[in-house]
Amino acid sequence: MGMWKYLLKKEFKQYFRDPGTPGMVLSFPFLIILVFPFAANMEVRDVKLAIVDSDQSEQSVLLTEKCSSSGYFDVQSVTSIPGEAQTLMDKGKIDAILTIGNGFAKQLKNGSAMGDALPVGIKVNTVNGTRGSIGSAYLNACVSEFLMESAGISGMPSGSQVEIRESYRYNPYMDYKRFMIPAMIVIAVTMMCGFLPALNIVTEKEKGTIEQINVTPVSKIAFIVSKMVPYLCVAFFMVFTCLLLARIFFGFGVEGSLLDIGLFTFAHILVMSSFGLLVSNYSENTQQAMFVIWFFSMVFMLISGIFTPLNSMPKWARIVAGANPLTYFADAMRGIVLKGATLADTWKDLVALLGIGGLTTAWAVLSYHKTN
Amino acid sequence: MEEKSVVIRNLVKKFGNFTAVDNISFEVSKGEIFGFLGANGAGKTTAMRILCGLSRPTSGEGTVAGFRIKDQQESIKRHIGYMSQKFSLYPDLKVWENIELFGGIYGLNDRQIAAKTDSMLKALSMENARDMYIRDMPLGWKQKLAFSIAMVHDPEIVFLDEPTGGVDPVTRRNFWEMIYEAAGRDVTVFVTTHYMDEAEYCDRVSVMVDGRIEALGSPAELKETYGAKDMDGVFTKIAGRAERGE
Repeated sequence: MGMWKYLLKKEFKQYFRDPGTPGMVLSFPFLIILVFPFAANMEVRDVKLAIVDSDQSEQSVLLTEKCSSSGYFDVQSVTSIPGEAQTLMDKGKIDAILTIGNGFAKQLKNGSAMGDALPVGIKVNTVNGTRGSIGSAYLNACVSEFLMESAGISGMPSGSQVEIRESYRYNPYMDYKRFMIPAMIVIAVTMMCGFLPALNIVTEKEKGTIEQINVTPVSKIAFIVSKMVPYLCVAFFMVFTCLLLARIFFGFGVEGSLLDIGLFTFAHILVMSSFGLLVSNYSENTQQAMFVIWFFSMVFMLISGIFTPLNSMPKWARIVAGANPLTYFADAMRGIVLKGATLADTWKDLVALLGIGGLTTAWAVLSYHKTN
Repeated sequence: MEEKSVVIRNLVKKFGNFTAVDNISFEVSKGEIFGFLGANGAGKTTAMRILCGLSRPTSGEGTVAGFRIKDQQESIKRHIGYMSQKFSLYPDLKVWENIELFGGIYGLNDRQIAAKTDSMLKALSMENARDMYIRDMPLGWKQKLAFSIAMVHDPEIVFLDEPTGGVDPVTRRNFWEMIYEAAGRDVTVFVTTHYMDEAEYCDRVSVMVDGRIEALGSPAELKETYGAKDMDGVFTKIAGRAERGE
């Protein structure tokens, strides 16, 4: 029908004439690829360490050196007085204490034949739990490596040893950026397609133009869908610009097919923009719409597996995540970008997204009343 | 028999316990200029929104342009023009773009829209304002343009809700010339206003008080009935009986 053409023309013109949005759309991909992954980095580096060396032997100095040269620790102090290190930790100046007790060198030489444990202690500050436990793991790894090496040097038979070799799949250098970029794209599409359409209809309500539209024979579907189309185009532009930037600046390619990414992006836009329009149907003014969208955005982002794994959440949170479109989009995007997942692997995500999207679109169209 | 554009019987609209429109009945003939007067809060806008298909009646019957107000709202919308007191063109679209949009919504094609745009701008002497944004236009221009756009599809009836609010006297006069010109083409004009000099220009006027129509007739008849020298006197006498405030 001819009406569609004129409505779409209107929406695109208004979109590009808005003083803020075109600039935002252009700058968002750069922010997402070049700024956010560094900020949303959860790698633990430079664990601040104090070493209490009561042994003062050649061996203990070697261990100290081993730890400080590993790159993970920032050795703040080496002392022989345990109380001093504890004071530093109490003040929050250090994250971990490595205690090398008296007799370390001697016992190391004799092996653990006597059955006694080596007098090495690790104490970590777990105010920040992640930092604490990762710091402790690093320290453990560092000490065991030292012990293995020294056992080799002294030619001691180390008995039957199990060698564990780790192999990192899909993200061999465990680069956090690689893991976060697909998720950042998910967040960007969500913001773009959730917030902006919500504000769009509410603005028409505030200006009174929607009344003029409601008194015309315009069809509800044409009106709602033509409002979604510009955001669809913009979201596609953003997703592929982000992937291109990730390729140019970090050399991250996409393992899977771009077509699959397009398909999922389309499904997610359907969900988010209809959700935004749905909110605006029930909101009388901009503040109200903003607040409701903001509330849902928080839930969408935090209970979705984007930042923290779903498996570690309680059951109720996993149920919430099951109704959250971001869960599926993020899962599929990570699968496709990092692992080269195909539709055979991700079809469940697609079905879930299309299901939620069909529901919200239908609801948005039905709850938009031309006659009250 | 004279052709009727609007026929309303026992129209009632309630919002909860509040009766905004209390059992009104009236008819408007084709080509008539019908003034719909009343103090603020008397129920004019509510009644008008029902006639335009923006609101459902609680009870009562009626037709607008031959379609039932109860269940044929979308058909009504195809045959009426509407201009609201809240100014309603898109401020971030240009003059020609607004004409194109509403022309397109009413089913005109590109060629028809182009012809309409030319003739409309010529009639309004706004040929030079074609590329002007609505937000940059003076209020009087906007109102005249909005009226013309409400008529872009040559509707049978046009509803004007306080079209001249805040407009200077010269522009108001121009505006009424446009209304007369439309009525001359047999378009029914349904207009609400607070200006009593404008009420004098109507063929017939009704005065609403507390959701009811208290008086209905030509300005001359009403002046005689109420013994007033002008419509201002008539209005003060009738509206003075109102019990509900704003």
